[in-house]
Order: sequence, then C-alpha cells, then structure tokens
Amino acid sequence: MSHVAFREKGEDFEASFEFVVVGSGAGGAAAAATLSRAGRSVALVEAGAWREPDDYPHSAYGGMRDLMDEWGAQVTMGRALWPVVQARTVGGTTVINSAICVRTPDDIFTQWQAEHGIGDLRDAVLAAQDRLEVDLSVEEVPPKAWGRANLLAKQGEDVLKWADPHPMKRYARGCEGNGQCLQGCRAKKKQSVNLVFVPEVLTRGGSVVTCAPVDRVLFEGTKAVGVTGRFVHPARRTKGARFTLRASKAVVIAASVTHSPVILMRSGLKLPALGKYFRAHPGTGVFGVYDEPVDMNVGATQGWASTAFRVNPGLKLETLAIPPELVASRLSGGGVQLMERLAQYRHITMWCHAVRAESTGRVSKSLFGTPQVHYTLDRADMERFRQGMVLLARQHFAAGAKRIIPGIAGMPYELTPDQVGLLDDAPLDPQKYIAILSHLFGGCVMGKDERTSVTDGNGRVHGVQNLVVADGSVIPTNLGVNPQHTIMALAQVFAERLV
Amino acid sequence: MLWLVRSAVVIIYPRTPTLPGAADCGLDEFLKKFKRESPLLIWLGTVLGALVFHLTPLFTVYLPLPAFLLPAKLADRHAARITSTNVYLVRQSVFLVKLCAGLCWGAHPEVRKVFALPALPSDPGTWRTT
Repeated sequence: MSHVAFREKGEDFEASFEFVVVGSGAGGAAAAATLSRAGRSVALVEAGAWREPDDYPHSAYGGMRDLMDEWGAQVTMGRALWPVVQARTVGGTTVINSAICVRTPDDIFTQWQAEHGIGDLRDAVLAAQDRLEVDLSVEEVPPKAWGRANLLAKQGEDVLKWADPHPMKRYARGCEGNGQCLQGCRAKKKQSVNLVFVPEVLTRGGSVVTCAPVDRVLFEGTKAVGVTGRFVHPARRTKGARFTLRASKAVVIAASVTHSPVILMRSGLKLPALGKYFRAHPGTGVFGVYDEPVDMNVGATQGWASTAFRVNPGLKLETLAIPPELVASRLSGGGVQLMERLAQYRHITMWCHAVRAESTGRVSKSLFGTPQVHYTLDRADMERFRQGMVLLARQHFAAGAKRIIPGIAGMPYELTPDQVGLLDDAPLDPQKYIAILSHLFGGCVMGKDERTSVTDGNGRVHGVQNLVVADGSVIPTNLGVNPQHTIMALAQVFAERLV
Repeated sequence: MLWLVRSAVVIIYPRTPTLPGAADCGLDEFLKKFKRESPLLIWLGTVLGALVFHLTPLFTVYLPLPAFLLPAKLADRHAARITSTNVYLVRQSVFLVKLCAGLCWGAHPEVRKVFALPALPSDPGTWRTT
C-alpha cells in the first residue's frame, strides 16, 4: 500500500502504522518526512485530493474549487466577515502560498520562554531551519522573475530607505515569474511540500491516504490509538467509505489552525485552552496607479517583501499580484463606473500588509461539526492596520504612482499624493475594509500551564498519551513573519523527539 | 434563481467601449457550472446577494422597482451605489455576486486579451487516484 484515494461506501479501509499524521501541509508533511527518515512506519492522511502540478487549475475559480478549504469562503465571525484563507489539498497551504521563507525571529523564542515556559526550542528549531533551507532549495528571487510590480516596490523601498533585517527568500528553485503561485506552480519551481516531503514519505515506504478528512481521534483510555473518518469525493463532495488508521506509537495532528482544535473537540477532549488564543496576520492591499503599464501578473506573485516594520509598529509588507478575476471584485463600485476602473488593470499593482495583531479570538465547532473562527481586531490593531496602509501609500508614491486606491468604504476611491494625509484619519471600523486573514496561529497553543495551553513544548497534548499537535495551532504568539518556516521546523523538532 | 443572479451580474459588469461585459463572457454556462459545483451555502449566498441587489433600488435611485425593471441608466446608477453602500451586510451580500461574476468575467479570453494576458486553458479538475 502506498497511496489510497477516495473509496466508495462499502469499501471500508483499515490499516495499522506506528505513526499516523493528520494533514499534509507544512507541519504534517515535514513531520511525516522526519518520521520516515527515522525508519518509522507512517501514514499521512489528507482531507483534500492529491493534485500533481499537471492537475493544478489555471483559473482563480479552479483554484477556489480544487485547492481551497471551503472554496476560500470561510469567514471570521465578528465585527467584520474577513476570509480565513487555507488550502485543502495534499501539500496544504504550501501549494497556494508564495513560498516566502523567513526564519523564526529570536525575540519569539524569548517570548515563548517568558510567557509560556517553553525554553528549549531555539537551537533545535534553527537547526531544523538550516536543513529545511537545503531540502526546499531556498533562494532569493532571481532577477528574471522580478517583474515590474516587484521592481517598483523595491524602488519605493530604496527611496524611503527602509532597512529590512530579513531579506526575502523563498522555497523556489529557478523561479520563472509565471505569476501563478496562488493557483499552484505548474512549472514545479515552487518547492511546496507536496513536491518534496510527501513523495519522500512514499519513497521511504510510508503511506498517503487522501480525500480523507479525519472525523476524530480514537482513544483507548487516555491513549490515542488512531483516527477515523469517511472519505469524501473531491468533485462530488459525497461521502464514501469509512477509514480507520491505527497508530501504535502516536497520532500527530497537523490539520491547520482551524481544523486541528476542532478535530480534538470532536474527539471529546475538554481542555480549557482548546480553541482559544487564535491569532492571525490580518491584512489588506493598497493599489498604486502608474502612468506606464505595470502588468502585475508578469513576474513572481510575491517577489518583494519587507520585515522592516515587524517590531514597530508591527507590520509585514509584501507585493501581491492578483489576477483580473479577483481584481474585478476587489475594486469598489458597479456598472459602468466599475468597468472604467477595471480598464486601468494594466496600470495598477497591489501591495499589501499583514498586521502583527495582538487581538485574540477562538476557534469553535459549529452545529455541523466544522470550524468557526471568532475574531475581531481591537482598536490598537486597527491603528496598526491603518498605519500599514499609510506606509504602502507612501511606498507607491515613492515608486512613482500617480494615485493610490485604498479601498476603504466611505473614503474617496482614489487619493493623490497631496491627499495621502486623509489616510491618517481613515476609519478604524473593520467593516470599512476588505481584508483577509492569511497567517494563522493558535487554537492548540503550547505552554507549560495546562490551564492556558493545550500541548507542552514538544507538541504533546496535556493529559493524554501518544497525541501530538504539529502545526501552526501550537504557536502561542504572533510571529510577525510568514509562519511556514517556523511551522515546518517545529513539526520536525516534535517528530524528532517522538523517535 | 439563475435568472436572478444573471440579471444582477449583467448590470454590475456591463459592456463598455473598452471591455466586454459579463454577458459577453459565457456567463450562462459559468453560472450553471457554479451552481452545480459550489457548496450549497455559497450558491445560496450568491442568490441572496442577487435578491438584495434587485430589491434595493428604493434606497439608491428612489424608485420602488426591482433593479431588473429599471431603465438602463438608473440600473447602472443603482449598481454603483449599492456596491458601495455604507450598510455593511448589504455591501457584503452584493460583494458575493460581484465575486462570483468576477471569476467568470476576469478569466474570459477576451478580457485577458485586453489586459495583454494569455488565454487560460481549461482547468483540468483532475487528481491523483493511484
């Protein structure tokens, strides 16, 4: 047995392994690869389908249908309905992100030690990140892949003399700048974990079970002994056979910040911190309007980023090229007015921010047993959010933009350089903004205190045996940088400590 | 229901001298596919958004008529106003219609040609079974 995909009702599937890893994204695939390298018998279970690069969609519609969790339509319950973006496919969100690689900042380890009693991760995580950068061919964006949008961002950064302590690197080998990161890189340049770690698990004798959303963890007393669920057809979305995967050593949950806590809830765990301390990097974009065509979809989707403002005021800035399908709804207005705005498409480019927000929310289980995210930004975070938009506006103007499009309800559609001061007084109501939550943390946070955490510093769930969480849900703080590198390194460290 | 969504989309994305409108971009086939493939809640949300769009001209152009009965000029003014209304839930409802239609409009070869982008091949919709 190597790969098991959807099975129809009546073809129930049972198998036993030493380790069962739930979720094949950054955390799960990295953990499974580590366990396989140690010669352990591993099953990697994924809710979504396994799509090779030739199976990747071309359109944004196809991306939502084939790669996104809930078609990308899961939104926060709170003051504003902001989408929570995650993938549901083998490789998880690494298939649809822009592969930005940033090492875990040192202050994060200090914070974990001081606030959560987690003191022995730094050296192990950094060593794992050394190895990951080799495994996933980390490199800077090559000049041929820049494209004008990223070059303009760099130009704006240079004019404003922003000093970035973490120059941007990505898990990409020989990027050609196809601008297709969000739909999956068909050119196989992006080293998403479905191209690296998942095949390695198979090569080393492990098994991959796909189209298999885990319903719950199975226990014998307080010991986790496996998982069970029903296959779901990736196109019809109908339920198929039941699968039961037994684990003699441990079950590793890495199903994402929203799904991991809910799997544990459905499994009957009653830990006081379960689902709590959800955090994110909410963000939005500001378009610049340039005289010459920018053609933002030519070049790397996110070929420029800056962590210069990570500590103060707490922001990450990035370029983000989005296709006409998404610009169509992102620009405000309707009718002829909207079409006139869309006619500028070649001349606009979007740069965004991700706020290192301190607000916390929670993940709960809906009546249907699915995840619900309750989250609203507080005033201080909204002020950061607004500051980020001011920075992006200044960067656009420094790069030569004639106008910017802030996309704030109730404000003018476009602002000229002499109007940029209006942004300082932009509303602080989240409902006025079109934003998304891209980087997610918490829900199963690690810590020493069982009242305020779900796992210990090795990802082991308090109060039960043989159950480990190894994804972004264990991260107890907001990193302020893209989390994939930290998630993969933590997962590998937790896996190393299991063998 | 398809008709309700279609008529809202056509008003939101009309044809202009520089760009094709949604009606020129295979909208009917797209909506059938969207209804068939999308989760029920997303489709229902889109229908609800279209319903909100059609029932609100009284608040935008001050006429007690559904949007699909408005003269073209007033329908266009309604589209501009309702998509930027200050009432959040109304704006979000109509946003769903805009999002759905944008996925059709923006991927169409004629639109991409105007933006100097190559035509997109069809999505394979395949996955690994072995």
